[in-house]
Amino acid sequence: MSPVDEQRKKGIRRTALIVAAIAVAFYVGFILMGVLRS
Amino acid sequence: MSSTVADALDHEHDDHGPTKGIGRWLFSTNHKDIGTMYLIFSLTMFFIGGAMAMVIRSELAVPGLQFVHPEFFNSMTTMHALIMVFGAVMPAFVGLANWMIPLMIGAPDMALPRMNNWSFWILPVAFGILLSTLLMPGGAPASGWTMYPPLVLQTGDAFPFLIFSVHLMGISSIMGAINVIVTIINMRAPDMSLLKMPMFVWMWLITAYLLIAVMPVLAGAVTMLLTDQFFGTSFFLAAGGGDPVMFQHIFWFFGHPEVYIMILPAFGVVSEIIPTFSRKKLFGHDSMVYAGSSIAFLSFIVWAHHMFTVGMPLTGQMFFMFATMLIAVPTGVKVFNWVATMWRGAMTFETPMLFSLAFVFLFTIGGFSGLMLAIAPADIQYHDTYFVVAHFHYVLVPGSIFAIMAGAYYWLPKWTGHMYNETLGKAHFWLSTIFVNVTFFPMHFLGLAGMPRRIPDYSTQFADFNTIASIGAFGFGLSQLIFVWIVVTAWRGEKATDRVWEGSHGLEWTVPSPAPWHTFTTPPKARIAEEAFE
Repeated sequence: MSPVDEQRKKGIRRTALIVAAIAVAFYVGFILMGVLRS
Repeated sequence: MSSTVADALDHEHDDHGPTKGIGRWLFSTNHKDIGTMYLIFSLTMFFIGGAMAMVIRSELAVPGLQFVHPEFFNSMTTMHALIMVFGAVMPAFVGLANWMIPLMIGAPDMALPRMNNWSFWILPVAFGILLSTLLMPGGAPASGWTMYPPLVLQTGDAFPFLIFSVHLMGISSIMGAINVIVTIINMRAPDMSLLKMPMFVWMWLITAYLLIAVMPVLAGAVTMLLTDQFFGTSFFLAAGGGDPVMFQHIFWFFGHPEVYIMILPAFGVVSEIIPTFSRKKLFGHDSMVYAGSSIAFLSFIVWAHHMFTVGMPLTGQMFFMFATMLIAVPTGVKVFNWVATMWRGAMTFETPMLFSLAFVFLFTIGGFSGLMLAIAPADIQYHDTYFVVAHFHYVLVPGSIFAIMAGAYYWLPKWTGHMYNETLGKAHFWLSTIFVNVTFFPMHFLGLAGMPRRIPDYSTQFADFNTIASIGAFGFGLSQLIFVWIVVTAWRGEKATDRVWEGSHGLEWTVPSPAPWHTFTTPPKARIAEEAFE
């Protein structure tokens, strides 16, 4: 794997983790925020 | 085991093609195959949802109860909407995104191909579950796609299946959105800056952020419904101290951005097509990006215009009324830019352009009726009438669906390697355009005359316009069979060139037609490709 591909792979992993973390936080957060307020 | 496309490209790719048989589709990680599956799925759902629309229009063709029980009629309106929104329009745009975003930005595939496979295959499961509710005791959900409590809590055995399927649809959309964002951020051609991206890619990037922001809100809302029904909570039950109006706030906080999720990619498609057939560059490229972003931002602060009639302080009404009207500004920028792109262009009117022109004209009609509905005191008259039905169908049918059709015709030669039958394409366009107006324009008059929506029977004063609308609906539905025939016979047409259209620009037109199974394994130079078209 060339250095450029290596760099791209790192970028993909980093962005995927950040966006997925935000999505999961929103998804679980909204559900918990709603349900735990009862 | 490779989890990202960079891993997958670690070995030489030219040594293999697609696997044989059903495995190619079940386990596919190829963006073109997954895009194709999304598009076929969407077309299937379009016809299932369309069949439900035919049941609705058959029942409403003349006054009185003809064919179906009122409860089943309500199930039809509910299921038609859920299927068209989540099963037809959204997956169609995801299909176009899967096919075209990697080709447009010079990427070899989507960034997370395995998740891409999951995103797709969750959908047939979700809609299998949703459609199975038609056979359950108590029937399919009948509370409208908005699922307002307390009505939705009267759903029979179908209720938990409805909630589960909505969760699955949301998860699928979120996974697709993550993939789009990661792909666009990381896998563009090296010399393609963000503001150099094609407009379809830009609009999809904005849409993906919207999806991640609002699908969880829907998930939260329906989970609260679930706990109200089965776990003794009273979020939305007045008897337990809850507030049913709160559900409406939460739902529309999702629901209004959802409207833009269904129209922003359509803006992107049309912004690709109009420059091609005007043989000019898109007028105001950057302003289109800012307008799209503004629309996305504003979509979060207008939700309560859907619920003026539930009662809210005057200040609230004024805020939501003016915020809604504000959306006309960036939308107007877009319409202006499309018209300015055509201005003094060497225009030709192939099928994709015809659908795009109809989009601009008819979507604007839907936009104007939206402005009328935004006026709080007027909305109290229009609310829950056929005027609303006319408005959102103008936005979604000659809006979103015409843009999908335009995109399908535009890119079909790139997908199949053959030109489609232009004569039949134009016949499809004209019949669709005539019948879509015959169907939905009279609904404005019905609404203004006071006909309520979501009813199986009506006063005889509404008979004539309803009959016309029903004739139009059947005409529109039958016209779509032409599209199926065009797609099925697309491989018989003359061989398409790589560039396909004389005025087309962009990386997707540099690859052969049909696009090979693997493209851009070496990142291209976007600027050089663009200069080659000049």
